[in-house]
Amino acid sequence: MTNRDLAVLAVLVTVVLATAGLAPAFADARPAYEIPVQYEADAEPLEGAGDEAWTDVPAATIPLSSAGANVPAADDTTVERATVAAVRTDDRLYLRLTWADPSRNASTDRIRAFADAVAVQLPANASSRPPIAMGSTDNRVNVWYWTADGRTEELLAGGAGTTTAFEDPAVEANATYEDGRWQVAFTRPLDAPTANRTTIPTDQDVDVAIAAWNGGNMERSGQKAASEWYYLALGPGPSGPPYELILWTIAGLGIVATTLVTIIGVRQTRGR
Amino acid sequence: MSQTDDGDAVDLAEGIDHQVAMVMDLNKCIGCQTCTIACKTNWTDGGGREYMYWNNVETKPGSGYPRDWEEMGGGWDDDGEQRTPGDLPDDEAYGAPWDFNHEQIMYEGSDEPLRPMSDAASWGPNWDEDEGAGEYPNSYYFYLPRICNHCTHPSCVEACPRSALYKRSEDGIVLVDQDRCRGYRYCVEGCPYKKVYYNAMKKTSEKCIFCYPRIEGEGPDGEVRPPSCAADCPPQLRLVGYLDDEDGPIHKLVNEYEVAVRLHPEYRTEPNVYYIPPFAPPQHSESGESLNADRIPRTYLEELFGPKVNEALNTIERERDRVRQGEDSEVMDLLTTKDTAEQYRLEVFDD
Repeated sequence: MTNRDLAVLAVLVTVVLATAGLAPAFADARPAYEIPVQYEADAEPLEGAGDEAWTDVPAATIPLSSAGANVPAADDTTVERATVAAVRTDDRLYLRLTWADPSRNASTDRIRAFADAVAVQLPANASSRPPIAMGSTDNRVNVWYWTADGRTEELLAGGAGTTTAFEDPAVEANATYEDGRWQVAFTRPLDAPTANRTTIPTDQDVDVAIAAWNGGNMERSGQKAASEWYYLALGPGPSGPPYELILWTIAGLGIVATTLVTIIGVRQTRGR
Repeated sequence: MSQTDDGDAVDLAEGIDHQVAMVMDLNKCIGCQTCTIACKTNWTDGGGREYMYWNNVETKPGSGYPRDWEEMGGGWDDDGEQRTPGDLPDDEAYGAPWDFNHEQIMYEGSDEPLRPMSDAASWGPNWDEDEGAGEYPNSYYFYLPRICNHCTHPSCVEACPRSALYKRSEDGIVLVDQDRCRGYRYCVEGCPYKKVYYNAMKKTSEKCIFCYPRIEGEGPDGEVRPPSCAADCPPQLRLVGYLDDEDGPIHKLVNEYEVAVRLHPEYRTEPNVYYIPPFAPPQHSESGESLNADRIPRTYLEELFGPKVNEALNTIERERDRVRQGEDSEVMDLLTTKDTAEQYRLEVFDD
C-alpha cells in the first residue's frame, strides 16, 4: 500500500466517521408520532405554562386538521399545528401545548361568543388504542379539556357526543397567551384516582391525541382541529439519538471495513 | 299513534304516547303581555335568563323577537330530511340592556336627566310594537304570541350532537337535559323559531318547558293546571290539551275542521302550537266606506301560515255566517267556550 493509498483511506475513514456522528443531528432523529417525555426529579419549574424551563424540554410539533364530525361547519377549522412537550416526575405527568391563534377569545358571556380551547385525549385503558373520534363504548377515552373562559375538565367519552365530566377532576391546567400564541400546561398524577381513568405508566408508551378550537371562528364541539394518535414515549423502548448514534457508527465502521477489504483486494489482484 | 273517526292517523312523533298541543286564537289577543310576564315570573326572572322570553308576544307584520328571527334559517329542507343550518342571533337582536348615563350623573356632576346613552336605545323587545304595515286608512297589524312549538319533528333535538334535547315520551314536551348540555348552541341556531336560549351564566341552553310541573299537578295545591301563559291570559285565547285527544277541541279545530294552522309550516318542524288566523275589518275607502277587500293581505297570512290559511279563513267565515243566521256551529262554540274544563283538557289520559 503506497502513501497515496493510505492518504485516500484516511480521508475516506474520516468522512464516514463524521457522517456517522453528524447525520442523526441533520435527520429527524425521532420516530414519527413520538412525543418525547423528559424525566425530571423536580418539575416545579414547569408548573406554569409560560415557565422558562419548558424551552429546554424537547417538543413535538403535531399537524392538526378538521375532525370531520357531524356538526355544521365541521370542516371550517383554523388551528393547523400544535407543539407538545412532556415531562414526567416520579408521580406526575406534565404536558405543555402551544399553538398559534391570532385572537384571544376567552369569553362565553355572549350568545355568539365561544372560547378558545384545547384538549388532550388518552385511552382510558393505557394499553389499548380506542377509535380516534372520542373512543367507543367498549374502548373509552379520557379527555383533559381546557377552555379559555377558565374551565378545566376531566372527561370520559365512549364515542362522539358522550363526554361526561368526572366529578372530582384530578387534572389541573394553567395558561398564558403571548405574542399570538396560547401556552397551556396540564398536569395530573400518574396514578388513576378512580376507575375509568388512564393510569399513566412509566414503562410503556401511551397513545395521545390533541385537538384545538378557535373560539373566534365559533369553533366548538366537533368543529375542531384534531390530530391523529401520537404516543407519549414513556417506555424504555428503542428511541432517541443515542441509539441511532450507535447504529450509525456501526454502519459507518461496516462501510469502512468493506471499502478497505475491497481496495486491498483490488490492489492484491493487480499486484499479481 | 291513534286513529281519528274517519280512520286518518293523528301524526305523533315516533315513541311518543301523547302530544301536548295548544291552539291560540289570534282574534282575541290584545297584546297585553300578561302571558309574557306570567312566564317570566315563573321561569326566567334571573340567573342569566333576564333577556329570555320563553313566551313573547310580537306585532305582525314586524321584526319580532329576536329581531328578524324569520330570516335566520334553521329547520328542515323541503323534503324534511336534511337540517338547514341556522344563524346564532347576537345579544342585540334579543334587546341587550342599554347603557345609561349613570357615570356622568353619579360621578361627574352632570345635570342631564337620566337617559340612555346617545346610540344605546336603538332596539329592544317589541321595539316595533303596533307599527304593522299598510297605509292609512288601511294600515293593519295583529299580535302573535309565541312559545316553543314542542314540534313533532324538532330540528333543535336533531341539532344537538350530545342528544341533550329530547321529546318526553309521555307527552312530547321538548326539554333540554341540563346535565347533558355543554352550551354549544347548535339548538339555538337550529330552531327556526329561535325558541331555545343560551344562558351565559349557566353556560347551557334553556327553553319553554310547557310548564310541565303545572300540567303534572306538581304545584303547591296539587292540582293540574294549564301552563301559566294560558291560565293568566285575560282574554283566555289559548286552548291546551293533547293533539291525539279526539274528543277535545284541539283535535277538532286542527284535524277535523282545519281552522287552526301552523306558523311557518315550511320550516317542516311540525309545530304543535296552532293558530286561529286573524280577521280584520275590511279595507276602507278615503271617505270611510267599507270595501270588499281584505285589510290583512292574504298573501301576508300565507307567508306566515302557509297556503292552508286560506281554507281556514274561508271555513271560519262560513261558520260565522251560520251563527249569524241562527244556526249551530261547533267551530264557533269551540272558539267561544267559557268552560275551562273544555278549554284545558289535560287529564284525559291520566290513568
